[in-house]
Amino acid sequence: MGGVEDEEPATKRVKLSTEELRGLSNGSSLIEPVSGSSSDLMARPLSSEGDEEVVGSKGVIKRVEFVRIIAKALYSLGYKKSGERLEEESGIPLHSSVVNLFMQQVLDGSWDESVATLKKIGLLDESIVKSASFLILEQKFLELLNAEKVMDALNTLRTEITPLCINVTRVRELSSRVVAPSQFVLVGSHSQDIVRAKSRSKLLEELQKLLPPTVMIPERRLEHLVEQALLLQRDACPFHNSLDKEMSLYTDHQCGRDQIPSQTLQILRDHSDEVWFLQFSHNGKYLASSSNDRSVIIWEVDVNRGVSLKHRLCGHQKSVCSVSWSPDCNELLTCGVEEAVRRWDVSSGECLHIYEKAGVGQVSCGWSPDGKWIFSGVNDKSICVWHLDGRELECWKGQKTLRISDLEITSDGKQIISMYKEDAILLLDREAKVERHIEEDQTITSFTLSRDNRFLLVSLLNQEIHLWNIEGDPKLVAKYIGHKRARFVIRSCFGGLAQAFIASGSEDSQVYIWHRGSGELIETLPGHSGAVNCVSWNPVNPHMLASASDDRTIRIWGLNELNMKRKDAHSNGIHYCNGRT
Amino acid sequence: MDVDPCHYDLVGINENDIHNVVLSYLVHNCFNDTMESFIACTGMKQPDDHLEGMEKRKRIFNFALDGNALKAIELTNQLAHDLLEKNEELYFDLLSIHFGELVRSRKCSEALEFAQAKLAHFGKVPKYVERLEDFMALLAYEEPDKSPTFYLLGLEHRQKIAESLNRAILEHMNLPSYTAMERLIQQTTVVRQCLSQELGK
Repeated sequence: MGGVEDEEPATKRVKLSTEELRGLSNGSSLIEPVSGSSSDLMARPLSSEGDEEVVGSKGVIKRVEFVRIIAKALYSLGYKKSGERLEEESGIPLHSSVVNLFMQQVLDGSWDESVATLKKIGLLDESIVKSASFLILEQKFLELLNAEKVMDALNTLRTEITPLCINVTRVRELSSRVVAPSQFVLVGSHSQDIVRAKSRSKLLEELQKLLPPTVMIPERRLEHLVEQALLLQRDACPFHNSLDKEMSLYTDHQCGRDQIPSQTLQILRDHSDEVWFLQFSHNGKYLASSSNDRSVIIWEVDVNRGVSLKHRLCGHQKSVCSVSWSPDCNELLTCGVEEAVRRWDVSSGECLHIYEKAGVGQVSCGWSPDGKWIFSGVNDKSICVWHLDGRELECWKGQKTLRISDLEITSDGKQIISMYKEDAILLLDREAKVERHIEEDQTITSFTLSRDNRFLLVSLLNQEIHLWNIEGDPKLVAKYIGHKRARFVIRSCFGGLAQAFIASGSEDSQVYIWHRGSGELIETLPGHSGAVNCVSWNPVNPHMLASASDDRTIRIWGLNELNMKRKDAHSNGIHYCNGRT
Repeated sequence: MDVDPCHYDLVGINENDIHNVVLSYLVHNCFNDTMESFIACTGMKQPDDHLEGMEKRKRIFNFALDGNALKAIELTNQLAHDLLEKNEELYFDLLSIHFGELVRSRKCSEALEFAQAKLAHFGKVPKYVERLEDFMALLAYEEPDKSPTFYLLGLEHRQKIAESLNRAILEHMNLPSYTAMERLIQQTTVVRQCLSQELGK
């Protein structure tokens, strides 16, 4: 101990006995403990002290509620002793003693007693008491039936259940149960689902749902709150693009940019002229690209070896402006500009059929969702529907076509989406024959449909990309800007996990990527030396993006390796790899 | 339709036809005594074999109406032995009347046993399920009149069943199950409705 100055007046210093001094040096409290450990002193929550009532920095969590749901969680996890200890230490019981008695009686099957106890629980209004009593007595009835005490069950029904005067339909069902022996059930009646009485703990769960949450804490409440928080974090995460990532409770979830493909992994130089269009197949195994050099190339996508040339399809006499994959990804349609549409077999590279019409040229092509017919846009303002074998099925006239005429069909085959005017899109319901329109105030250059058929991404002349919700009345939901478009058709696409991103080409030779929900531009990827005409995101691998450019190359983009390696150093051990989902 | 409705005044009717209509009505409803005096008054030929049949049918009808369904079933089986086998629905209706009577006289356990023994197997056939449930629902109430299906215990219901039984027996005996009187009234009603609709247009 420090030296005691005798000159100091006695009043300024408390004279401590040696006993207490020793106690001080041990670190224990000066005050006599009342009983047991010192923590007991804090046991009773003092309601007069306002601060004690809430926990957390925002002051919105009530201590009593917080402790109770933690105790509930401990019990459901099976830590009964911990739960009891918490109740004891905090002085906050999970349930009042009446409720505890009630729950025990239900589990023990003391039905009449439990109904009586139910009435003693405060905070309950008449209708809840009746509904809960009904549930309990119904259980009593069913258990009696199961034990083949039919008359007892009937008496319960007549004297206890029916007089509650609620749930008349259920009473009716129960009385049918009395007659039908337990081995067979009345055919076609509702009794089918109550062959056996449910377990008593299940009954307790149902009672919990009926009673107000202050009386009986709902099951798994704490888990539910935590899940809610995690899901909100995930939805707010702008770069969320990876299935692998497990959400941790330790830190707020935030994907880094490293989940977005941003590094050129491959440059494919096999085209000898501008590459105008490209698209991954639905199964992500192939990529098809079409070019001003009049050829189409089918590439094979391999997880380990990357993208490699499979077939070069020659035959078109004009530049090829678009391709379309069959629903089963075994065949490919290609369209030459104002020329013919060709159908190719993917594995052999053979041309299976040529679709042409005398005197006119076709400008776009597509498959029906069932793979049984194809359609093509024609430069005489019509859309032609063909049988696979070349017979013309139908021809819809009167659609306005531009140089490129996009056409989409929803995957249920019900809606056809096509250009209607320069600045309007027609959505036609084939069965109901109902038309809806999307009107823009700028010329539309291209559009694409989301995988879930609910949204349409429309690219406009004025360098904006608009996202429309096409369920019900079309509504504009988002705009994406930043990329450059002046003279050419630049295409955009959906992509990434759950199609949460929008990607587009641009005349400034870069690839642009936006977060779909917020509209925020998150990446601009330089690399190409000419306008980027088209982009396609691998539908199966959210980390792979392909871009087609006037510089005659195709670039395959993937995750940035450097960032990945750095992240791996303090990740939770999950290994990420390029191209792997 | 541009037929003048007053034309009916000009149609001639045969006396015998009218007598037959009345007679068939009396026979159908087993009004033995009335039928005998009617025949005597009009001098018609008595339909000889009808009388015995009528007596039996009358008894069966009354037993069913009173709720003594088991007796009605017994007599029916004597009179027309495979009728109830062929008319399963009718059989079900009769059995459920007996059940209803047991419930009405508060003989709960008897009613339950009877239902389990005789009625439950009908539950396997979808078309009877709802009706069976209607009857079973009566068991749930200490005062069956308070139940939603209380009408099953009433006279009206029994009358309906009794009449169905009567018709079935007549059919079985190769007699018309509907009287001419009924048919005529039904037809007239329809015609009148039709006419008033036409007028209303």
